[in-house]
Amino acid sequence: MGTNKKYWKGLSELNESPEFLKHQQNEFVEDLPMTETLNGEGTTSRRDFLKVVGFTTAAAALASCETPVIKSIPYVVKPEDVTPGVANFYASTFYDGHDFAPVLVKTQEGRPIKIEANELHKKHSEGTTARTQASVLGLYDSARLTAPYAKGTASDWKSVDAAIGKSLADAAASGKEIAILSSTIVSPSTRSVISEFIAKYPTARVYQYDSVSYSALREANEKVFAACVVSTYDFEKANKVVVSVAADFLGTWLAPAVFSTAYAKNKKVSPEKPEMVKHYQFESNLSLTGANADERYMIKPSEIGKTIVALYNEVAKATGNTAVSASASIASNPDVQKALAKIAKELAAAKGQSLVVCGLNDTDTQVLVNGINKMLDNYDKTISYEHHLNLKKGDDKELANLIANMNSGKTGVVITYNSNPVYTAPAKIGFAAAYKKVPVKISFAQTLDETAQLADYVCPDHNWLESWGDANPVRGHYSLQQPTINPIFSQPRYQGTRQAQDTLLKWAGVKTDYLTYLQAYWQNSIFPMQAKYGDFYSFWSNTLHDGILKVHFAKLVEAEKTAVNEPMAKDSSGKPLMTGVAAVIADSLALKKDEKKEKAEEKKVIAAEEEKKLPEVDYNAAASKATAAKGGTWEITVYEKVSLGNGNQSNNPWLHELPDPISKVTWDNYITMHPEDVHEQKFGEMLRQDVDGSIATLTVNGVAVELPVYPQPGQAKGTIGVALGYGRKVESYKVAKEAGLDGGANAFEFLSVTNDTIQNISSEVSIAATDKIHQFAATQIHHTIMGREEQILRETSLAQYKEDAASNNPKAFIHTNQGERPLEEVDLWAAHPRPGVKWGMVIDMNTCIGCAACVVACTAENNVPTVGKDQVRRTRDMAWLRIDRYYTSDMTRKRAEEEHIGGRRMYLDMENPSFNPKVTFQPIMCQHCNHAPCETVCPVLATNHSTEGLNQMTYNRCIGTRYCANNCPFKVRRFNWFNYQGNPDFADINPSQQDLGRMVLNPDVVVRGRGVMEKCSMCQQRLQAGKLEAKKAGQPIKDGAIKTACQQACPTNAISFGDLNDKDSQVTKDRENERNYFLLEEVGIKPTVSYLVKVRNQEEKITLEAEEEKEEKEEGEGHKEKKEEAHA
Amino acid sequence: MMKDMSRNALNFLFGLILVGFVSINHASAADGKTVFKQNCAVCHALTDQKITGPGLKAVGDRVPKGDWLFNWIKNNDKLIKGGDAYAVKIYKENGNQTMTVMEGTLTDDEIKAVEAYILNPPVEVKPTAVASAGSATEGNEDEKGVNPLYILLAVIVILAILTVILRGVRLSLQNVNNAKEGAEEAEPVSFYEESKNWLGGHRRFVAVCLIVLSCIGMKSCWNSLFRVGVYYDWQTGKGYHPEQPIKFSHKIHAGDNAIACQYCHNSVEKSRHAGIPTVNICMNCHKGIQEGAVTGTKEISKIYAAAGFDPKAGTYDVSKQNPIQWIKVHNLPDHVYFNHSQHVVVGKIECAQCHGDVKAMTTVEQKSPLTMKWCIECHRKTEVAMAGNAYYDRLHEALKEKYKKEHLNTFTVAQMGGIECAKCHY
Repeated sequence: MGTNKKYWKGLSELNESPEFLKHQQNEFVEDLPMTETLNGEGTTSRRDFLKVVGFTTAAAALASCETPVIKSIPYVVKPEDVTPGVANFYASTFYDGHDFAPVLVKTQEGRPIKIEANELHKKHSEGTTARTQASVLGLYDSARLTAPYAKGTASDWKSVDAAIGKSLADAAASGKEIAILSSTIVSPSTRSVISEFIAKYPTARVYQYDSVSYSALREANEKVFAACVVSTYDFEKANKVVVSVAADFLGTWLAPAVFSTAYAKNKKVSPEKPEMVKHYQFESNLSLTGANADERYMIKPSEIGKTIVALYNEVAKATGNTAVSASASIASNPDVQKALAKIAKELAAAKGQSLVVCGLNDTDTQVLVNGINKMLDNYDKTISYEHHLNLKKGDDKELANLIANMNSGKTGVVITYNSNPVYTAPAKIGFAAAYKKVPVKISFAQTLDETAQLADYVCPDHNWLESWGDANPVRGHYSLQQPTINPIFSQPRYQGTRQAQDTLLKWAGVKTDYLTYLQAYWQNSIFPMQAKYGDFYSFWSNTLHDGILKVHFAKLVEAEKTAVNEPMAKDSSGKPLMTGVAAVIADSLALKKDEKKEKAEEKKVIAAEEEKKLPEVDYNAAASKATAAKGGTWEITVYEKVSLGNGNQSNNPWLHELPDPISKVTWDNYITMHPEDVHEQKFGEMLRQDVDGSIATLTVNGVAVELPVYPQPGQAKGTIGVALGYGRKVESYKVAKEAGLDGGANAFEFLSVTNDTIQNISSEVSIAATDKIHQFAATQIHHTIMGREEQILRETSLAQYKEDAASNNPKAFIHTNQGERPLEEVDLWAAHPRPGVKWGMVIDMNTCIGCAACVVACTAENNVPTVGKDQVRRTRDMAWLRIDRYYTSDMTRKRAEEEHIGGRRMYLDMENPSFNPKVTFQPIMCQHCNHAPCETVCPVLATNHSTEGLNQMTYNRCIGTRYCANNCPFKVRRFNWFNYQGNPDFADINPSQQDLGRMVLNPDVVVRGRGVMEKCSMCQQRLQAGKLEAKKAGQPIKDGAIKTACQQACPTNAISFGDLNDKDSQVTKDRENERNYFLLEEVGIKPTVSYLVKVRNQEEKITLEAEEEKEEKEEGEGHKEKKEEAHA
Repeated sequence: MMKDMSRNALNFLFGLILVGFVSINHASAADGKTVFKQNCAVCHALTDQKITGPGLKAVGDRVPKGDWLFNWIKNNDKLIKGGDAYAVKIYKENGNQTMTVMEGTLTDDEIKAVEAYILNPPVEVKPTAVASAGSATEGNEDEKGVNPLYILLAVIVILAILTVILRGVRLSLQNVNNAKEGAEEAEPVSFYEESKNWLGGHRRFVAVCLIVLSCIGMKSCWNSLFRVGVYYDWQTGKGYHPEQPIKFSHKIHAGDNAIACQYCHNSVEKSRHAGIPTVNICMNCHKGIQEGAVTGTKEISKIYAAAGFDPKAGTYDVSKQNPIQWIKVHNLPDHVYFNHSQHVVVGKIECAQCHGDVKAMTTVEQKSPLTMKWCIECHRKTEVAMAGNAYYDRLHEALKEKYKKEHLNTFTVAQMGGIECAKCHY
């Protein structure tokens, strides 16, 4: 559309005067006197110019001498529930398509800064995982999109909505499929929203696909119980025997936080109850779960099915059932067969109190696992498919169907929600190629991730902390999600993000927002299933406050029969039908809260469900298929790391800098191989930080990548492990790029599809050396304790513990001129009184599983900076709390003596872990020694002791001599080498350098500057706040009211903390435990932190090296005495 | 000087007469004014402006004569229920809302005083008079004395001039002397040369002087470093008192009108921050009080601008809201944690102990140095009120045990560990 109007800037332009035409092209009307000025000829000479510059600089310098004015800007209208300086906690739900956790969100002046577990959720975990802790940082990710994208450029919602609306209508009209590809949709109201969408566009279909697939568990349950669900596992009730075959249930498998809480309860031993769960693990990679197992057997990935079949047969033998015909021998490890017979007997003796789980995504194997648990009478006791899990409902077959549809042109529109299939789908199935063929591709991604890059439209979703929502993680359990911050990217500054549900409702033509819809959904569907609240409004506000809800099971089953996700908001009347429903339902609600009756009804319902005829299962066929897997020279297991998981949070610096619990390597993706394999293949053995590793070319299922090789003790020989979550090809992921080899390799490409399920194992592997080398950044480069168990790492066996609760926990003695005396009696200094509170911490090494949730919690709580790979390599990592991981070694002094091995060889061998080492985790933070070596060497008294027994560090007094760090026996003091908040070298990785990332900082804790020493303060800010609360209330401090960040995050309750002057506190009781000991006790530093001896559930005795020596010496002396006697 | 003194005396006398006149004139209404401000001003203005209740300008002309107004104030509910025609009319005019019943709150005498005050509101004292009186006193303060530094400088200048003159005299005398004695006229030595010679001849003296001077210099540099970021000047006793975006007077609010500190700084008992009042708190009163005694509508209109409030229509426009950017007066040094609620609730410290007599401050100024020394000195001498707070029970016994030799029964903050680093630095 042209226009005849003419616009002009002035009359001269309108008249086109000659003067105007002459100067039209000049930027300035007059020439600038540049040459004159520079030659000193003009009116302003160069000297004058310099004078002016000099004067202004001097004036500016003078003016800046005064301290600047600080402004204080209050709200215009203060929100009712916000008090500046006081944190608020909101119950919400974390779900990112992979991890799920009911949480409490701590907000300070409207900014979420910390995630805690929702303790009301008793069925769930008592703590969190590292990823849940770190998820708060995702809110402030600078890679987040601030506007919708259309065809690769930023656009606005109006035009995007219009264009998409048209495409959807076209697709529906032409009968082409509109595919909604999502990870498991755990939110019932979202399913309802989608049904609204389907009502409007009848060709729409939902495909659920999980990046880490549990498809086989569902398929197997379908085959055995006619229930296509993932069972729930109760590790608390499995208090006798747990057998896990390649399932890392403490680290990554299904719901690790829940499992570890339950599992650890069976690891708490006391003289009154000297019983523990016995845990067997069969795996090829050394996983977190394997590291915690009482007995661990290494098998190759191809032998997982065979192991299960062998176990099935042994259990069948032990329980008097029929065995399957397939024979299975585990060639790589002959011990396994023997062990399985023993385990089967133990399992048979522990019917209903045991659990067998398997991590392989293979239906036939899982059918056999179900069969084993059935023989062991575990159903309804330790496993339940009635109270099934609603997470991980993805179906691998559906993904294959979608790809077929996309390839054949049946699919007109693809909408990806909460999933990133271009990155996570196996390379072999060719998702990306098929995806490109779809005419209209829409993504709800929050960042321009791999799928969003290829999409035509990106409609960025809110972060979970900005969203409303609900979840139904377990049948009968509901939780709510509420926004804890206004959407950060909102209009008018940004085009903004929009919650995916709102977007779908808009496209579906429903004229209501998602919050109203959500409330209406709860009013219609969930409110009637409970009996606690009579009216919807008190129900809603109380459930929102609690964050969780358990509904009446019988009612739920009844409701499930009738209600299928029908669209609620039929738009025919033009009005959203969102109110007035509750009143009707409330009247008909005649349920009374009666726990006993509820339980009885529940049992009846379950019994009724069970009466259904179960299908016939052909275990023989399953077994022959399960044993069919072929081995190879090299076999690979692609695994999830405890830190990065499936890579959803791979732009999170806290997780990258979190050392892997087992390898202790940060910022890197690598090949794990057995040290002997590494040696045989002549790869660099990376014994220490300064010895580089080799880079190898790894080819799996035809996909070749280059990755460094890391020798991992405990890895099955002939096998390889590679972690998922790396190799992001996203421009805006600055943090992910910091990882080694420009972000590492994407191991999702290695996945393959066998029998309709996605496999994370493969035998089509070859590995070849390159001449390139790689530098690792590991936070722990020694592997063993070198025979110093007594000082640092005390362990005993359950058998020994039953005999003597204080076994392997000798009292420390000190040599004086009056002979040996107990440590408490000998001291250089007089004891200092601790009149008020005396803080103490006890860490139970028996329940600590090394999951590292505490490490991330500490980072978040105490504003610990991330320093990046290069600095970690220089041992300058800043973590206040680390978890030391120790392997056992085969070499002992005794063995060296017996086998006549020289001292040097002995020490060298002591450094090497065993072939299949036992692993111990030990969290180490500042031990707050009451006679602290660091305090006596500080020249400026920047570190000294408080009357509460804490070693306090005063940053503003510290001058950075680092004497204290030199004198610290635990190496827990961290020196700030750089200004991590301002130095541009750390701009990409340090959240505190970005306007957004800074918002996550805890305002109660100082951000330390360059040149000072820092360390664990025992969360001083929490102690002070807790004391103040007690003082204000005029009451003594309640035990358990004050929790440190690490203690609160711990899913296994391994840390107890409190007042040692309080006789009844948990920490006092733990201190009196026979297993209590202090690190490096004999140095006389009197630490505040103590540890409880680890008890391994094994028959073999564990002997401390020092004890051995002592015994020998005593024997020797006895010998001498005898000799002397003989002499006499 | 005589002239100045007499002018000051005249000013003073004039001021006395003015104050006397004003106070005599309004002696009868003074009581009523206080009662009105405390009980009525939230809903009624003395102008014709309607707040919650109707404006009271010329109310005496409207209402029935006699005891009606008194009865209305005392118990309007009774009057309405009694069917009084005018009372019912007023009730209906104001949206069927009764006024707060004052019976029981106010005595009959007080009601009478208020009635008298409402019927004969005082003539507003022009703000200019107050302002000029204020500036006069401020001027006087400035004239108090001459800075000794200036005297010193003047002496130095005079001495320098004297030295130069004396040198000239000496030179000319020497020349005259030389001429008289027939000696050759001495080569004129430049001042520079001469000084150099003299300095060369007194090396030891010069060295000592230089050392002394540099020591003084270094010490003063050192001292000034300590003052970086410290707004309080301990030498003059004057504090930091920046000009605020709104000329808010604590004297009028906390002093004259006796509003409790916690009404506006309401998080002081809950949070580490006392809290700068948000605009909605200002609006609680200033929705009604639209004109100030001193600055008229000028400053109050800034509140309205911040709140997006239209005083004429009485409506808010949320889109026009704009927070007030106050300038922080009490700035703690970096890296220190201070909690108001700890000191106010647990320590039961009055606000004035640290903030001074804010009730008398027109512009708030920092009264305490807020340095670590100041904190510690207070913690050293303040005794903790342990009695009656169960939190301290065990601690009290333990401390008694610890200080057995000294026979102490009460303990200072320092004695219970209140001056340890990590209590404030973390």
